[in-house]
Amino acid sequence: MKFIAKSEASKKLLNIAQMSSSLPVNIIISGETGVGKKILAQTILPDAPIFDGKILEESINNRTIDLEQYNEMIIKDINGVLNKIEFLENLSNIKIVATATFLPSDIESSFAIKIDIPPLNQRIEDLEELTRIYLEEANSIYNSNIKADSLDINLQQNGISLKNSIFKNTFLQSISSEDMKKSLEDFIFNKLEEGYSYKELLEVFEIPLLKASKKKYKSQLQMANNLQINRITLRKKIDTYFGNEDY
Amino acid sequence: MQNFYEQLLEHDLNPFLLFDANGKVKSYNKEAEFLLNFVSVKELFELAIANASVSFGFNHHYLHLKYNKQTYYGILVGYISEDELALRLYKEVSNHTNVINNNKLKLVNIYSLIDLSKNSTLLNTKLKIKELYDISIPEMKVNINDFLLCLNDCFTLFKEEANISLIVQIKIGEYEIINNKKCKIISLEFQSNNPIGLDKESELTLEMKAKKANTNIFFEQKTLKLELPMIL
Repeated sequence: MKFIAKSEASKKLLNIAQMSSSLPVNIIISGETGVGKKILAQTILPDAPIFDGKILEESINNRTIDLEQYNEMIIKDINGVLNKIEFLENLSNIKIVATATFLPSDIESSFAIKIDIPPLNQRIEDLEELTRIYLEEANSIYNSNIKADSLDINLQQNGISLKNSIFKNTFLQSISSEDMKKSLEDFIFNKLEEGYSYKELLEVFEIPLLKASKKKYKSQLQMANNLQINRITLRKKIDTYFGNEDY
Repeated sequence: MQNFYEQLLEHDLNPFLLFDANGKVKSYNKEAEFLLNFVSVKELFELAIANASVSFGFNHHYLHLKYNKQTYYGILVGYISEDELALRLYKEVSNHTNVINNNKLKLVNIYSLIDLSKNSTLLNTKLKIKELYDISIPEMKVNINDFLLCLNDCFTLFKEEANISLIVQIKIGEYEIINNKKCKIISLEFQSNNPIGLDKESELTLEMKAKKANTNIFFEQKTLKLELPMIL
């Protein structure tokens, strides 16, 4: 995976990363979870080992690591280090690229280059490109042809939740009727083992059916007509499952 | 023909100036002539007035002054008539030679460092920089890490500005002796439209960072200047 740089902001960040890769300076990359900190760090030091800050600190304190064998390293989550100043003093002969969700002010002066990656929702061109890449991958795995506009994407954790939501969406949209039946059969079998009743298992089928019908037909009248079900029966079911809540 | 005392003053390492009652300079020595490149006659006259004795006499004051690279630890104000006021400044002199640890220096294009610092520090700002660069500056040896830390702070000072100029050039006729070699001096001059407004503490912090990067830093109202030796 390489750092996606389609937006102007990312192009500048990538340029800074490439320029600083050959210089004897420490670099810190900050940004929210999933914005691409580790990938950008690997762009700067492609051959460097990656350590978790907290674990590395423990190894240094316990003398279970020989630091002399390293001349460069990537340190993930440097904010997890308890005594950052002492930690960095121990690594003074090593070129470091550190990542952090926020820039730690107490060791700011140890890093000559600071790169702050904005969240994906502020980098629309990168978001589009990443969506395209993940969707292509998901379509290839699930042998489907899902379009980007039918996706319900989640950016809470930037690239991580984007990928998860695309794969989940693609899987759910591409599943065949036969696969669904088989999957339901397995699910029901497991639940029967747990002692589920007919009524409890019917919920698994009826709740998604009512939700999807509401999305499709909007009104209860339309739902009843199209599902060919008595209106009073439909109302009863809606009351049972959802009460007065919107569903 | 100057008498012996006048010649002694002329060749003194400390600046000497003689003002008339209106603050005009009546005479000065070689060191004062050099000093006047960096400080106005008015400022020095005001310094003399502020520190003159209440009635006629000679007054020594120990105070810290800095003009350009030179620091002074005290002054003498001579006030013996209504027509003349004399000022002598005492230089802080050390005879140590400038030695820079070569191990920490790396041959680099100064403009790459400027670009890197500018791009990383000003990423989300609207500051426009008018760049006036002397492209004849060759690759030179720099303590890259410390120089970038200093440069980042310089750019940060102008983050809120709309426009600044950055002039990078070799200073003509000025040299510094580094590791027993004569080095030309590179100057980076940041010119703003507004006062820089740096407090004393921040100024000292930046001076220390500059010193670590083998660089001299000069603050003026709207200008910030860095000077570093061109070690080849």
